[in-house]
Amino acid sequence: MAADFVAIEGRSRNYYLAVVILAALVFFGFFCFGWSYFEGHQVFGSSNVIPWGMPIVLAIYLIGLSAGSLILSSLTYVFGRMEYKSIARMAVYLAIVLIFGAMISIAVDLGRPEKFWRLFMFFYLNNMTSMFAINGILYGGYFVISLVYFGFILAGQQTATKIMGTVAVLWAVLVHMGTGAIFGFVAARDAWFSPIKPFEFLAAALTSGMALLIVVTVLVLKLTGRDIKKDMINSLGRMLAIFIIVLALLIFIDKLTHVYEPAREATIYMLFGPSSWIFWILQVGLVVVVPLVILFHPRWGKSIGGIVLASLSVVVGVFFERYYLVIPGAAYPMPLYPGHIEGVYGAVGLFPIQWAEMGLSLGIFTLLGLMFMVGLKYLETLSPKELVEQPVNSPVESPATAAQQSS
Amino acid sequence: MARWGMVIDLDKCTGCQACSIACKSENNVPFGSPEENTRRITSYWHKVIAASEGEYPAVNIEMIPMPCMHCDNPPCVMVCPAKATYAREDGIVMQNFRRCIGCKYCIAACPYGVRNYNYKDQTEQEYNMPDLPPDRSVIGPWPYPHRSHGVVEKCTFCFHRIDAGLKEGKKIGVDVVPACVDACPTRARAFGDLDDTDSEVSRLLAARGSFVLREEKGTRPKVHYLSK
Amino acid sequence: MFPKNNRKKAADSATEKSQGLVVSRRTFIGVLAGVGATLAASRFWKPRAGVASELDLDKPPYGTVTEKWISTSCLNCPTRCAIKVRVTNDNAVRIIGNPLAKVSEGETCPRSHVGLQVLYDPDRVHSPLKRTNSLKGKGVDPRWAPISWEQALDEIANRLKSLRTKGEPYKLLFFQGLNTISTEDLIGRFASAYGTPNTISGDGLDDEADKAGEWMADGRFTQSAYDLENTNYILAFGANITESQKPLARNLRMWGKIRRERPNRAKVVVIDPRYSVTAAKADQWIPIRPGADGALALAIAHVIITEGLYDEDFLEKWTAGFTEYKELVLSKYNPENAAAVTGVSAGLIRDIAREFAKTKPAIAWRGRGATSWPDGSYTSYAIFCLNALVGSIDVPGGVIYQEYPSYKDMPPVVEDSVAKAGKTQPRVDLSKSVKFIAAGVVTNQVADSILESKPYPAEIAIGFNSNFNMSAPGTGRWAEAMAKLPYYIHVAPSLMEMGQYADIVLPACTFLEEWAYDHCPPGSGFAEAKIKQPVVKPLGESRFIGDIIFELARRVGSSVSQSFAGIGDNAEGFVKYRTSVFISWTDFCDRGVWVGSAYEYKKYGSIFRTPSRKFEFVSGNMAAVLSQSGKYSGDKLDSMPHYTDAKFLGDESKYPLMLVTYQPTLVIENGNQNYPWAQEIFMVMHGQGWSNFAEINRETAKTLGVSDMDMVWVESTFGKMKARARVFEGIHPGVVAIARGQGHYADGRWANGMGVNPNDIIGVDYDYLSGQSTFFNTRVKVYRA
Repeated sequence: MAADFVAIEGRSRNYYLAVVILAALVFFGFFCFGWSYFEGHQVFGSSNVIPWGMPIVLAIYLIGLSAGSLILSSLTYVFGRMEYKSIARMAVYLAIVLIFGAMISIAVDLGRPEKFWRLFMFFYLNNMTSMFAINGILYGGYFVISLVYFGFILAGQQTATKIMGTVAVLWAVLVHMGTGAIFGFVAARDAWFSPIKPFEFLAAALTSGMALLIVVTVLVLKLTGRDIKKDMINSLGRMLAIFIIVLALLIFIDKLTHVYEPAREATIYMLFGPSSWIFWILQVGLVVVVPLVILFHPRWGKSIGGIVLASLSVVVGVFFERYYLVIPGAAYPMPLYPGHIEGVYGAVGLFPIQWAEMGLSLGIFTLLGLMFMVGLKYLETLSPKELVEQPVNSPVESPATAAQQSS
Repeated sequence: MARWGMVIDLDKCTGCQACSIACKSENNVPFGSPEENTRRITSYWHKVIAASEGEYPAVNIEMIPMPCMHCDNPPCVMVCPAKATYAREDGIVMQNFRRCIGCKYCIAACPYGVRNYNYKDQTEQEYNMPDLPPDRSVIGPWPYPHRSHGVVEKCTFCFHRIDAGLKEGKKIGVDVVPACVDACPTRARAFGDLDDTDSEVSRLLAARGSFVLREEKGTRPKVHYLSK
Repeated sequence: MFPKNNRKKAADSATEKSQGLVVSRRTFIGVLAGVGATLAASRFWKPRAGVASELDLDKPPYGTVTEKWISTSCLNCPTRCAIKVRVTNDNAVRIIGNPLAKVSEGETCPRSHVGLQVLYDPDRVHSPLKRTNSLKGKGVDPRWAPISWEQALDEIANRLKSLRTKGEPYKLLFFQGLNTISTEDLIGRFASAYGTPNTISGDGLDDEADKAGEWMADGRFTQSAYDLENTNYILAFGANITESQKPLARNLRMWGKIRRERPNRAKVVVIDPRYSVTAAKADQWIPIRPGADGALALAIAHVIITEGLYDEDFLEKWTAGFTEYKELVLSKYNPENAAAVTGVSAGLIRDIAREFAKTKPAIAWRGRGATSWPDGSYTSYAIFCLNALVGSIDVPGGVIYQEYPSYKDMPPVVEDSVAKAGKTQPRVDLSKSVKFIAAGVVTNQVADSILESKPYPAEIAIGFNSNFNMSAPGTGRWAEAMAKLPYYIHVAPSLMEMGQYADIVLPACTFLEEWAYDHCPPGSGFAEAKIKQPVVKPLGESRFIGDIIFELARRVGSSVSQSFAGIGDNAEGFVKYRTSVFISWTDFCDRGVWVGSAYEYKKYGSIFRTPSRKFEFVSGNMAAVLSQSGKYSGDKLDSMPHYTDAKFLGDESKYPLMLVTYQPTLVIENGNQNYPWAQEIFMVMHGQGWSNFAEINRETAKTLGVSDMDMVWVESTFGKMKARARVFEGIHPGVVAIARGQGHYADGRWANGMGVNPNDIIGVDYDYLSGQSTFFNTRVKVYRA
């Protein structure tokens, strides 16, 4: 077991080229951050109507991806499902990188990022009724737990790994529900206020995490010239389909409750307003319709290409789900007084695309990419090329997939 | 302890916005540019909104002056992770710039949109007062002679006036009132202790029908409006 | 909690120490650590900080602060409220109302606070400037060169002297914007001593028709004062009582009073084609067809007379010509006819008339919206007569007669033969001529007079805070006229549009740096004088306007300098001299105001300045002026309130909409608008700032295919401009409304390019009787840009 995983060599020209490009973009992102730090958030698109912008979109998106990916790894290390073993380590590492990215995103969105430490002065400088403070514990704890968990995995401590894995998974569930609660508990914004939000976030996290894992797995295995085990991808695809259905149901219920209640203007705006195409095409389309059509298609649903495409669609779509929640979700003016509020105080919030904000977001993405690539080089996260694992029987595996795999 | 509150008589109010300008002047609230105004990144501790209903000629437009509501159940205090916004014992919801990390959660959580984020550093003008209310001018871990960008700010009910008045033994609500109350030419605004049945605010509330904004949110604002 | 534990630990350690035991090194370190931790913690730890710990009042946060409160008065509108300015470390930082002022009971309107930005406007002129580009015109760079005061004053004085030597002193024009009363007095004296009749104020753009209405009725050419405090019913014809009617701060204060500070709440009905802020706050809004207010007023009179609701006692004792008036009203102005003209139903007219007559005391208040029309004087007269019908003349809650402070008289002006001859010349604005028979000043005519060199070519003009290039209809003419004017001296804190045509610019002080005395326009009844004193030293090289005039007088010499001797010798001295009759100088400086005795009502024996010494429904004054000018046709109608159909400029079929302008509260009336506090919340009803809009009714917008915030062209026969459309419910479907105050092109950084100036496309027309420029009778069309 100890020799099951290796690091990649990382000496090819392409590897270095990729590292250099990513590093340049990270540097640009850092420059954007510095710009915003000295010029103020006027260089971002946010406003007193839409208080949060791209960094928060990124944060909740990355948290979702992270925990999804961590939960996946637990299938191997906690539930002993060996068919996922070849990607399990990578999943944990990816989870760590992503939560790190989420925390960076939150930090750069703060007006005074140098006071970031104040978020971690639990029970002392923090107001513990704040979902942010609670999430400080959740995120911080999650980061530490993941690191310890990864440490045990690398060290091959099986029992400890199993315990930490269990803790990590349960903690990840809390992380998502906590993140959802940031939005779901805000009574002032009609489009956000909902008890379903924590569960919706959990489902979205599982969905997007799973999808990202599929994409990354196939990508890494392909790029490093390793074998892709088709039955594994197939079973992941089936799981993805289930998650998507659950997520779709939760989104449906969430919107339904908001449309059903009389104070429905904000949700109506989200569903049918001028930017509702983001919801229908990018969110519903990419997260639900496209992947489900692919996954339930008799042929596409069985092919690696199809599954990867469906996953990619989910990964992109969930990003827009987050975007749609954070930005247009806050844009609709609050009903301060009965009647139409004239002028800027009653106008739908504007969110101009600003280069500094986009550069910063890009920088965060590339930073994560860079960390992931460097991690692959220096940590033993991949199963070695020459090792071809025997397929382990699993309940979801069918003779058809086995046959396909042998071909 | 007093529970400071404000009563705004919409029948006397003429929508002149003296309150808004007096507030800017009293509290050094920076002004913006046309673009910043459209983007809603200008600070207004106090604003006057116009809410219209009906069609010509049966149109009705109400002008509602809006300071911070200083809720008894302030959602902003609930969500602030850094204890930067807090309710004083006298009910004034305050913002401490030294503690504020600029996460903007309070802006998201405020049902009245009265919180403002400093999107840029304030330019110094000659008419900026040299003696700012201390909470904004103490030299802290980050020395802010004037407010820096990246923190949230809001109406303070002119706490500096109240505190100074109390110290000098003046009667709050009679001799000492917030700048907006002081500046109101129609005297549509009253300020005082809501718990004191003899105060002007209590008498006004007892005498006439009043309402608060977004009552359904359960925030229990301390700014009450007397209807027409 | 962590810090509390630490405190406890520290306290324990301290107790241990105090018990006199040997303090071990460990304890000592413990104490140090505990105290240190407590101090460190207390820095952050303020659990629901109490009031006392919040504010250390004894210790100013940084530096020493000197504080002064200086009494002075505002000049951001003609109301000139008494204010107090807080000055810390020689910076003016805050403006509040002066509680000793009675006119507005210590309150001020929002504009007073903007005074700080008037004072510290970064686009002010700080030294005298001389034009080096001989070419003048709109958009032409004057190429200013800074010069010294000596040089500037010498050059001006030489010009003025040579004009006098030529025997043509009347070719000197004075343009007056919003100035203090003392500046106006000094300008008047200078003009008189110099020998020119041409003091051109901006009044011809404001309320001359309002004044003429009262003049016809009671012989006083003034705006009316109303005893708001005691009234129970206000019928406002186009008067934006809470937005722009003067004295605004008093109106606002009294509004609060009459609504909720006394047992009976006054009712307010607003008649206006636009849902103004006043209409929004009133009890009833009656949208009327623009220009038809006269018909409505006469129809109301018809109802009052037919139903016998008039005040018989007053009419019999103190009015003349009621029989003729009654006959005229009954024969021509029944509510049904009026309904067709005004668009207000006859039933509603009857209701209002009854309510107006039965609720006592009641006021019929006329404003620009009703009277800035051709024949607006008669509309004004018709509305004013309603007050007499219900007996609301000089009674509590009715029309009252303003008293003014009687400043110390100046010695008579010394006039030499040149001055005497000069003043016999006709005025350049043709007022009191055949064209404008009863006019005081016809501001807008001056541009045409300069362009046509009639009655004579103007040589020199001195503008004091004037900016007619923005405020007068037909702005293009003003640009041409100012370019043609051979020599123009601009005396103001900032250049503005008119300053762009100047040959010399003299930087004057703003009202916060100036010595002056002031009083209110009609409103309060009783007299009140206010001081203006410098709250800070004049910025840059700017000087008091008073000093500039005294200095010019000295340099011009002859009768002019003689006239300015012995009246104080400089701005401060002049104010001291003129106000010495009230209270002691130190008291006046300290208190800032002097208030006259309480108003006395029912002075019927002395208030009417008509031939009959009564309130006249057939104006004897008017008849006299008509016959003097040779215009008297023998038709009594010419001296009676009557209504003629509003004349419009532009063909209805081509230009279907009527352009209406109005003044929002935050228009600073010094001709400048470079003040961000005023700009950013400029239009309260639209929740917008930094602009103005072409406001159109939703139905109209639908037929034009215009939606909210579209850019549209507003075109009249006189020009077109691109404005942002505002689709609005509160406006008559036949009307486009554009706020004044925006559209500056040569002002400062916060005013240039914001919105449009409706005066660019308003045609030039007058109420020829009073010389009032008309602002509302231009037809326009609106289409998408």
